[in-house]
Amino acid sequence: MSNQPHILVIDDEYQILRALRTILTARQFRVSTAATGEEGLALAAAGQPDAIILDLSLPDMDGVTACKRLREWTQTPIVILSVRDSEQDKVLALDAGADDYLTKPFGIDELLARIRVALRHAAAQGQVDKKTVVTAGPIVIDLAQHSVKREGEEVKLTATEFKLLAYLAANAGRVLTHHTILSHVWDPADADHVEYLRVFVRQLRKKLEDDTEQPHILLSEPGVGYRFIADD
Amino acid sequence: MPTIRSFSNKDRRVLSFLLAIASTAALTAGLLIIRDRMEVASVALLYLVPVGVSATVGGLGPGIIAALASFFSLNYFFLPPYGTLMVHQSQHLLALLVFLVLAILISQLVGRMTTSLATARARENETTRLYELSLALTRLHREPDILSNLAQHILETFQAAQVEIFVEGESQTSLVRLPEKDSEGSILSGQPTALVSLQGSQRMVGEIRMWRPGGLLNPAEERLLRTYASQGVLALERTRLAASESRARILEESDRMKTALLSSVSHELRTPLATIKAAVTSLRSEDIPWEAEARRDLLAAVEEESDHLNLLVGNLLNMSRIEAGALQLKRRWNVLTDIAAAAATRGRHAGKGHRIELDIPEELPLVYVDEILMEQVFNNLLSNSLKYSPANSVIKISARPQDEQTVWVQVDNQGPAVSEADLEKIFEKFHRVTAADQITGTGLGLSICKGIVEAHQGRIWAENLEQGFAIRFTLPIQVGGEAPRVPSE
Repeated sequence: MSNQPHILVIDDEYQILRALRTILTARQFRVSTAATGEEGLALAAAGQPDAIILDLSLPDMDGVTACKRLREWTQTPIVILSVRDSEQDKVLALDAGADDYLTKPFGIDELLARIRVALRHAAAQGQVDKKTVVTAGPIVIDLAQHSVKREGEEVKLTATEFKLLAYLAANAGRVLTHHTILSHVWDPADADHVEYLRVFVRQLRKKLEDDTEQPHILLSEPGVGYRFIADD
Repeated sequence: MPTIRSFSNKDRRVLSFLLAIASTAALTAGLLIIRDRMEVASVALLYLVPVGVSATVGGLGPGIIAALASFFSLNYFFLPPYGTLMVHQSQHLLALLVFLVLAILISQLVGRMTTSLATARARENETTRLYELSLALTRLHREPDILSNLAQHILETFQAAQVEIFVEGESQTSLVRLPEKDSEGSILSGQPTALVSLQGSQRMVGEIRMWRPGGLLNPAEERLLRTYASQGVLALERTRLAASESRARILEESDRMKTALLSSVSHELRTPLATIKAAVTSLRSEDIPWEAEARRDLLAAVEEESDHLNLLVGNLLNMSRIEAGALQLKRRWNVLTDIAAAAATRGRHAGKGHRIELDIPEELPLVYVDEILMEQVFNNLLSNSLKYSPANSVIKISARPQDEQTVWVQVDNQGPAVSEADLEKIFEKFHRVTAADQITGTGLGLSICKGIVEAHQGRIWAENLEQGFAIRFTLPIQVGGEAPRVPSE
């Protein structure tokens, strides 16, 4: 077995498969492709890929079902591909176990970043000593010490602000749905109160971002959730 | 000749026969007391009174009855020998015969007059009701209204127990039944008293069924019912014609729109595709070794035009949703600054040195909107501003709370003023202030903004500023109920 990561791409568009195979192979990935959901599931079982790129609109199966069926037996990271204006489908797929998403058309840098984060996150799952310090530009967050520093100076956060920031930072690079964040940081009963998130994210941005109108650390994913961008 | 009135008043007819007998009897009784002092001729004259009265009140029949009764009474009680029907003197016999002829003549004349008066009244009544019906039907434009109105008129005019009107439409059949339930709550079934078909100009459109306990219709009533039916058919055909005409107009209009859309879209799609194709084929060509900078330029053009195509397709999709009334808002509480900032960031990448500024106060309340559609509004407004305002000029997004219920938003630029006449029209589909070849665009951007803002129960309009041009819109805050309270900790 080579140590090149193995990526399985499931999409019914021939041109997408062709392009992704070429691009990912050039980037030192091993690539296999499937044009239907059933074929994809079979290949996932046989090939044991390190990450799966899954299109949400397949001819034989909807992406949410495919996610659920994969998650029945594997924790392999799944990055879903979908078109604009289907935020609801993305959220459903993410809640069904997908790790991240990309909206078609996408830039290849974005795709590579998603794959990297997914692979890193999967690798970290098994480790005992997880990374407890997250750095994002001038911001250094020590999850164990409960401390946040901006250019070396302590940033004062309220308990909820820290809990929210810590949760996002611990999942750096991954999209987290509104629902997931609210259930985790507040309470499952508050999962629909997006306004809590709006207000607290605004407060955090004021304390962490250089320009709150052009955030670089706490990004909004419209209609889906938020993403914390850490340094690589 | 039977009349509607006499048919509908059987009791009255019996009464008028009784009146004929009774009035003759009363007169006889009165005259018997003074028989000795009366001449036979005077008595005979007096007997003409009940004949005249009976014929006037009851018509021909009662008149004849009164005439015969008077004839026998005169003979029996007042012509000697009294108490018999025999007549001895020939002059008495002659007088008696003359009386009989006269009495019958009078009752015939009077009776005929009464009858024709009743007929005239019935005709007048019929005409009035027809007039009322046609007047009522003219005012109605919906098929169910016409049917129930017709049924109501039939129910009242013919004093029916139940009326059903059954109509076959192009796609469905409908049945109107009045009264919707009779007093016992049951529906009359079985053979209807009368059944009239609704004969349209092309084909049968349905039928009227009427039940009434009073019995069969007389010819006049049948005629009236047929006239009602033809009035109903006329009204139905009129509305159907109007409906199909307006349907045809709508189809024609949407056909025209589609043609305009297709020609606009194919033009708009081809422009970026042309750039992409040209750039890519150049890069693939092995004739020229491209310098690094030229390569970068060409590739940047490909990427920009791809993004442009993507925006175009998104707009088309939203337009078709707005058109189909299928725009579904996923409203959440949002920070307007975040939405505007995301659009501004996108705009800065697309602009030609334009400065995009945000002027939204920190304390602006949360707005209850669909963030993705709202971002599309800002994207379109910014994209318009970038197109029409000079390079390196300032574009500003401002927002203010207008009052307790409303937030007011403005996107302004330093572009040229728009003529008064165009201020309204720019929100129409495919309306463009400049010629199509000068500035690219589908002419859809602003009409999509209008569709989205109005779906949020807001209002959007355009204004010329002292220096520049602005699109303004309002958003209601409280449509989502009370503004949410966020726990501070």
